[in-house]
Amino acid sequence: MQTFEYAPGLVPPRAKTTDGDDPLHGELLKLNMGPQHPATHGVLRIKVELDGETIVRIEPEVGYLHRGKEKTCESLGWRKFFVHTDRLDYVQPLMNNIGYALALEALGGVKVPERAQIIRVLLCEMSRIGSHLIYLATTGIDLGAITMFFFCFKQRETLYELLDAYTGHRMNNTYVRIGGVYADVDERVQDAIEAWIDQFPAAVDEFEKMLTGNRIWYDRNYRIGAITKEEALAWSLNGPNLRGAGVELDLRKAQPYSGYERYEFEVAVGTVGDCYDRYLVRVEEMRQSARIVKQALKLLKETKGAEFLAEDRRYVLPPKDLVRSSMEELIHQFKIVTDMALPKGCAYHGIESSKGELGFFVASDGTSTPLRCHIRAPGLMNVQAIPMVSMGRLFSDMVSLIGSLDFVMGEVDR
Amino acid sequence: MVIVKRKELSLLERLYVPEIARGLSITFRKMFEKKITRQYPEEPLPKTEVTRGQPRLVVKDDGNIACVSCGLCEAACPAYAITIDGGETDRPIEREPKRFDIDMLRCILCGFCEEACPKDAIFMSDELELADYSREMLVYDMEKLKRPAAAMRKRIEYVHKINDRWRSAPRPPMLADQHGAHGHAPSASTAGSHASSPTAAAQKPHAG
Repeated sequence: MQTFEYAPGLVPPRAKTTDGDDPLHGELLKLNMGPQHPATHGVLRIKVELDGETIVRIEPEVGYLHRGKEKTCESLGWRKFFVHTDRLDYVQPLMNNIGYALALEALGGVKVPERAQIIRVLLCEMSRIGSHLIYLATTGIDLGAITMFFFCFKQRETLYELLDAYTGHRMNNTYVRIGGVYADVDERVQDAIEAWIDQFPAAVDEFEKMLTGNRIWYDRNYRIGAITKEEALAWSLNGPNLRGAGVELDLRKAQPYSGYERYEFEVAVGTVGDCYDRYLVRVEEMRQSARIVKQALKLLKETKGAEFLAEDRRYVLPPKDLVRSSMEELIHQFKIVTDMALPKGCAYHGIESSKGELGFFVASDGTSTPLRCHIRAPGLMNVQAIPMVSMGRLFSDMVSLIGSLDFVMGEVDR
Repeated sequence: MVIVKRKELSLLERLYVPEIARGLSITFRKMFEKKITRQYPEEPLPKTEVTRGQPRLVVKDDGNIACVSCGLCEAACPAYAITIDGGETDRPIEREPKRFDIDMLRCILCGFCEEACPKDAIFMSDELELADYSREMLVYDMEKLKRPAAAMRKRIEYVHKINDRWRSAPRPPMLADQHGAHGHAPSASTAGSHASSPTAAAQKPHAG
């Protein structure tokens, strides 16, 4: 197979055909994949030029789902933007909530209680499992493994029921607040999570049994779209895509937040960096996440009854029983809801989301509305890598490449 | 660090035919497992007190709503769904809403209004289905939003538990008019100690 160097705007030289039957008369076939193509996982449009079945020029076009989230934050204010973070990467809303909350806490200097941190870790890892399940399910169905879709969505359904039992919603939970979480995880939910996580590793084994040695899955992923260490770093890839290429970088280990240093888990790293490695890394991460969830549940039992929301009257709503009885607390309630201001300055906090480093940069001028809120979406970097990995490959490889890079357009376009 | 193990396919796996048989055996086993499909519209989904449905105004046992039209839910709403016009009233709470509209098409069920309300007037119900023939009919006015407290008792108790941060102190009987006939909010002196104040508020109607 001939390979081409990627250079935007440059059509690689091509041998003139003398074959009279060629209906294209030696021209390249221009093809639009998306923005409504089911395999693009959202409204992503990819302009492809094909020589036969080989991709010679490719240009992803983002922006079809642009809703102006960052600008909305500037007009909505600090507190209300939490509901918008849910809708960035909508397969892991709680993780986005936590990322935003951590950035605001860094800016405001809020100390998060221990139990809140444990709950956050629990929610983060459950979100990570949910997101990786979506990856397996959708990539599976794109490559013809319809069974995977049902197996993964069965597990995901249980996961979403657990989140429903805790937050009251399946998606768009909005249950994280500055200084902690909105509600405590009660015993009933803890037991349900425990029952689910106990059977989960067996389910992951079953996924692996279905896919790892499956010849169709193997042929469509093995040595497809290999990314070297240098390329991955140059394109600022993060998360499983970078770890699949053999770089051990996990923000949970590299710069632990929310007490991740207390948990025992391993960082899964690949060797070749192809679609197959990225798949194996994600499967291993699901197992490690299950380990963390178990440890977090144990810690939750130990810290039963501890506070889960900081007692900080600058940013955290006072308990309602005090609001009903004390004028001082009532004033705090009004002040925080209507114009809560964060101190002048700026802060950045990155967390290890299921797709890479999810970072929030917030800048405040000391008023109740942000000066700037920038979201470092890992999905955007993953979309950027599409041309690099798919140049010179067959068009049918595009499906497994897009699936294995794993992005959600809600976050990419924001 | 754990380096993931790449698998090389064995001859049997390469041949593919035995693998088809193995796959089908899994499929057959799955046929006898418990079915998890839910026939949603025919079988309604289970609703608990945790379910965050559409917001509703709670009608207390004396037939009134607790809202004093302070506008805090309006300020807390990230979707700008709530519109309130306040006015005076002869009732002890002195102010009440003349107009309280929630645009259900804008509402995202986040529960910020419930969290913000200082008078325990608005709560998220377990009603989730929303369909009508025009946009105007989906802008709910006060009459459409009212729900008797008895129907939402479990949710109210659950939210009190969250918003009081799971304290064990006795809570005010929210279903009755807690301020009694005297019409004064518990003063600062009764609120001196946190644990005793809800009890004081609870005893007030009986004392009056």
